[in-house]
Amino acid sequence: MALLSVQHLSIRLSTRHGDVSVIDDLSFDVQAGEILGVVGESGAGKSLTGMAILGLLDPPLAQSGGRIVFDGGRIDTLPPGEFDALRGKAIAAVFQDSMTSLDPIMTIGRQLTETIIAHHRLGRRKAEDRAAQLLAEVGIPGPRERLSSYPHQLSGGMRQRVVLALAFACEPRLIIADEPTTALDVSLQAQIVALLKRMASERGTAVMFVTHDMGLIAETADRIAVLYAGRLAEIGPTSDVLQSPQHPYTKGLIASIPRVNRPVHRLFQIEGTMPSPAARPSGCAFHPRCPVAIPRCPHDQPPLITHKRSQAACWLLDPSAIPMKETLQDA
Amino acid sequence: MTDISRHSPSLWSRLLRDGLAHELFRSHIAVLSALVVLCLFIVAIGAPVLAPYNAFDPGSANVADARLPPGAHGLFGDYYSLGTDPQGRDLLSAMMYGLRTSLAVGFGSVALAALVGVTLGLFSGYFGGITDALIMRIADIQLSLPPILVALLIDGVTLTLLGRSQHDLLAIPTVILAISTSLWVQFARTVRAQVQVEKGKEYILAAKITGVGTRRMLTSHILPNVMAPVLVIATVNLAVAILVESTLSFLGVGVPPTQPSLGTLVRIGNEFLFSGDWWMSILPGGLLITVALSINLLGDWLRDRLNPTMRTL
Amino acid sequence: MAFLLSRLVHALIVLLVTGFISFVIIRYVGDPVNNMVGQAATLAEREDMRRALGLDDPAVLQFARFLGDVLSGNLGVSYRYGEPVAKLLLERAPASLELSLCAMLLAAGLGIPLGVWTAINRGSALTRILLTLSVIGVALPTFLVGIILILIFSVQLGWLPAFGRGEVTDLGGWTTGLLTIGGLKALILPSLTLGLFQMTLIMRLVRAEVSEVLRSSFIKFAIARGVPRRKVYYRHALGNALLPVMTIVALQFGNLFAFSIIVETVFQWPGLGLLIIQAIQFADVPVLSAYLVLISGVFALLNLTVDILSPIIDPRLRVASHRGRVA
Repeated sequence: MALLSVQHLSIRLSTRHGDVSVIDDLSFDVQAGEILGVVGESGAGKSLTGMAILGLLDPPLAQSGGRIVFDGGRIDTLPPGEFDALRGKAIAAVFQDSMTSLDPIMTIGRQLTETIIAHHRLGRRKAEDRAAQLLAEVGIPGPRERLSSYPHQLSGGMRQRVVLALAFACEPRLIIADEPTTALDVSLQAQIVALLKRMASERGTAVMFVTHDMGLIAETADRIAVLYAGRLAEIGPTSDVLQSPQHPYTKGLIASIPRVNRPVHRLFQIEGTMPSPAARPSGCAFHPRCPVAIPRCPHDQPPLITHKRSQAACWLLDPSAIPMKETLQDA
Repeated sequence: MTDISRHSPSLWSRLLRDGLAHELFRSHIAVLSALVVLCLFIVAIGAPVLAPYNAFDPGSANVADARLPPGAHGLFGDYYSLGTDPQGRDLLSAMMYGLRTSLAVGFGSVALAALVGVTLGLFSGYFGGITDALIMRIADIQLSLPPILVALLIDGVTLTLLGRSQHDLLAIPTVILAISTSLWVQFARTVRAQVQVEKGKEYILAAKITGVGTRRMLTSHILPNVMAPVLVIATVNLAVAILVESTLSFLGVGVPPTQPSLGTLVRIGNEFLFSGDWWMSILPGGLLITVALSINLLGDWLRDRLNPTMRTL
Repeated sequence: MAFLLSRLVHALIVLLVTGFISFVIIRYVGDPVNNMVGQAATLAEREDMRRALGLDDPAVLQFARFLGDVLSGNLGVSYRYGEPVAKLLLERAPASLELSLCAMLLAAGLGIPLGVWTAINRGSALTRILLTLSVIGVALPTFLVGIILILIFSVQLGWLPAFGRGEVTDLGGWTTGLLTIGGLKALILPSLTLGLFQMTLIMRLVRAEVSEVLRSSFIKFAIARGVPRRKVYYRHALGNALLPVMTIVALQFGNLFAFSIIVETVFQWPGLGLLIIQAIQFADVPVLSAYLVLISGVFALLNLTVDILSPIIDPRLRVASHRGRVA
């Protein structure tokens, strides 16, 4: 059984002019201990999905359909009190900007110990020991002394390590990492991602790694889910998705990763831009930009169709959808 | 921030053009308060005509009719809809005249504060340098003092300086001076900020090149374009001025008893609170609250419509 | 450090200026000699008095003497009471201070929690009621609030006294009303009147600041970590909102000073406020000028306190440690 099961999730945004569907019928699973990469452009809805799982959607956003099941139990309908107990302990989070993730007027030691004490019955001393241990584990020198530092006294890389320590503090089963390295420079990115991966595998923690950086995902994730315009375009094991992508959007994404070992005349770019949720095209949301769209695409939204170990929402995978005249493109 | 780099079109066309109010609740309140303010103005201006009795005519006051409750009839058959005060004056008329005085002093104070504040703000923003530093330093010091205190001290000191008899003659100008002293800073600061913005714009540079003199520059070019927030501040501060004046009058250091304002009426009526004659102080007080509240609401609405970036508490 | 020094110098300058204004008033308003000796004195007696008071000396010398007097606690003699002003101020101070303290406790004690609560529960009916009441509260002049409270609780219900301090206990130099039932009862209505406006202000301020903070990422992160909600709201959110709130609250003490004049008049509370009103009414110049010096002293102290307290509350304002950043 999957650790986390998102089933037909829909999220709406209430505006003055009516409701807009920002996430539409999204379904995917996260297995225990695996790293699922959730990729997509800005505005595709990846962060929102994470927020919904954590129960942190604020008005005017709200879940308008579907279920979220964690460890066999439904969590999207839990009363706030019970959900609070889950957060940090069972499901934790890492956000993008470390500076704004930490309370500026509280020492990082206090922030660590308060998280630990919130979930375990430890005395102050024991909690501090544990906090120092965590800081050492994420690679912060002089951890004991660092407990009394304030966030602004640390560099960006250090702070993100602290954020990781905070996320792992209570040994969660699942971590939602929302663009954890986007605000860091490249060399730090690699370090932080490696750290995250190591700590997760040591503890058997599953990670839902949300990012727009395909290259990063290639190194890190076991499986990849590609989001487009609030819908799932493709999902499958990393190697399969990268080497033989099924959805035209995924193909475009991979093609647009610059290769350093090959001469390039111009960088590939998918034509057009991703539509805003308010202006989502009918049928398959990608069809206006799709180089291989067929007549059915604008009319009916394609379901997820299985192909070997992946699934993709594309009519081209359904033999019955293609008129006789068209031939299957290279799979 | 609204674009004020051209000569601002009339306020009305701007208000109408800016579309619907986003909260129906708020616009209802605004309309209601505007109506109330309008009524109050009419009553105040037309008091000599509208009031049933002339409150200042000693002949109309009948001491025998003193302290009658609302709705009572006097010894000679006079009807007092809101009762009478300790000297037998009809309370309704006294309140109307009092409203007049309160509004007049309030307006005078705000007008003076605006005049001084805008001028100083213009100089401060345009000339910069020592002028600016000096004016702003004084403003800073004064800003830490609450308006009531400033007004009270100035009023008190002047009273002491002039002696009682002279003070009564000059009371109203003194009060106006005192209140406006406590209010000018806000005008000065806002205008100064606006001027500093305008100063850098091209049309000013163009005017300078064509040799426009300083005085014309300030009055014809810069002034019209920095006026927008002044209206909002004026409205908001009108309520403050009225409240400060009523407080000063209540404390006995405001307008003279010969020309009572609403605050004075409350003071006079307060003496008799314990004997159960509540109307002499509560009714003028209620009118005072109504005035302040409706002007406040109107000012809030005005501020929200014209310049949302000025939103404070 | 340098910052504090400059603030100190600034405060001293303000004090000097007010001192000067004070001096001008007391020296040149009316005729001090007249006020001291009365109408019937002879010319010779007046001359003696003039010399004794040093009124013929150059102005600068007189100003210096004035400053010296002020610093050593000699603030002149009241025209009305015939007693040293300093003594009068000290006698009356406890009454005003107690009142201000109670009012502030009330204002902050109610204002801060209500502000946080309305920031968290934005849509609730109670929030809307409270906000509406606060809008009305701003338009209510303090003296009217006092009168209405007296009307309800003293005149109609007869529960609480409307005038004076009730029974006070003398603890050496300080007289307090907190130790007797009568004294406590007498404190209620005035404190309420004085504190109401402050409470409205504080509530709206806290609400605005906390609402702002609640939108921050670290709040979301704290909730995501499972930190209990109450701790998130009252420790993290309020803690971060507190600095701007504190600054304004400290400056509000100044407002208290001003409004206590009104409240003491309404309730005939024997404090500094009533003293100054009576001084104005009776043209008691020494008291008036001493009051000026007192006020500027108090305000200077207030501003200085805020400057000192700010770095304590917000660690980001503290001088950077020489350890510097760690890579």
